[in-house]
Amino acid sequence: MRGWHHVGMTAASHDPGEPASAKAVSIPLAARVHLAHAVVQHLAERAGADLLHIKGPALLPDLRPATRSSSDVDVLVRPTHLHLLVAALEGAGWTKRSDFATGSVFAHAANWWHDDWGYVDVHVHWPGVRLPPEVAYAAWSADAETLDIAHVPCPVPDRTGQLLVLVLHAARSTDRSDVEYAWDNADAEQQAAVRTLARTLDAEVALAAALGELEQFRDDPAYELWRLFSQGGGTRFQEWRARFIATPGTRERAQLLAASFRVNRDHLGMELGRTPTRRDLRERQLLRVRRAARELRGLLGSRSGGTA
Amino acid sequence: MTTYAIADDIAWVSREELDAGGLPVAYVAPLPHGPAVVLEGSACLVWLLVAQGGTLEEIVEEAAELAGLAPSEVAADVEVLLTDLVAMGVVRTQ
Repeated sequence: MRGWHHVGMTAASHDPGEPASAKAVSIPLAARVHLAHAVVQHLAERAGADLLHIKGPALLPDLRPATRSSSDVDVLVRPTHLHLLVAALEGAGWTKRSDFATGSVFAHAANWWHDDWGYVDVHVHWPGVRLPPEVAYAAWSADAETLDIAHVPCPVPDRTGQLLVLVLHAARSTDRSDVEYAWDNADAEQQAAVRTLARTLDAEVALAAALGELEQFRDDPAYELWRLFSQGGGTRFQEWRARFIATPGTRERAQLLAASFRVNRDHLGMELGRTPTRRDLRERQLLRVRRAARELRGLLGSRSGGTA
Repeated sequence: MTTYAIADDIAWVSREELDAGGLPVAYVAPLPHGPAVVLEGSACLVWLLVAQGGTLEEIVEEAAELAGLAPSEVAADVEVLLTDLVAMGVVRTQ
């Protein structure tokens, strides 16, 4: 840099305690996400919560295109440490925006919002992995490495684990850009290591879905679920039916059924911009029942060749 | 001899780490509550020199060299900035 400019320092927060001379400026999203990873790491360390930073700035630089940016923080927490992390986040001003049971069909993540640091998505397991979450976390973290994010050391999965996270994530959509960038550029030895880790985590079906090899698992209970996701998702009824088939155990299936029909209070709250009332929930539940009935009639009609 | 270094429990990222080009900018935040501070232009330059660590004289000399100016032309600004950063708790002296 040539030349000397007036020293420029401005506060980037809306803290009422900031100096009167400081101008409130917004931080670019990419910078905020980097800083937020560091904040979450700081809180987790002090709370004694083990976690791994995943995706976005937590990826090794050559695993994602330079133009690809992240809008929130993603972490995978040791399941038995979840309560420690949640207490630390909420103690530092984060508020929960969605719950595990209602966040997605996989019930794998919940998210929290902070006015300065944005969203953090807390995952207790990664969709596609069928090992119990606690056992899976041990496998993810076995070869964990440390990566500086905003100049703060953060634990991340090793290269093999990062590749598997990306590819399994891609299995839930029709967007193949991560597969093309990360998987297709990996050498044969690296790809073999990812397949081995997928076997360890019992994640071979989801991996196959991402790689276009799903037909090898036609007889697997999870086949239909991953076929739907890799084709861009089906109706809500089809997704839950596939998830039901892929879920082992009567108790787990009963829990899934109950969750499938429960109105997502978190999402409804975000949609309405206020806390839903009991009446809001009842009306939405009625709508859901009617929609489910319509979808079921459509499915039965298409099977019988009808047009309903 | 007093040296300056980035304090403990500080997260920061500079624009060079996010994208190429543009005015040098660093975003600096005390952990975990912030608030984040934006250091632009010459302030970012001084911050990057503090990240390496050094005495006031060393930082002034390097900043002046990078800016293509005499140390006497930048010394006052650098000293004021360092004093502010220490007061904010994002830079420590030892």
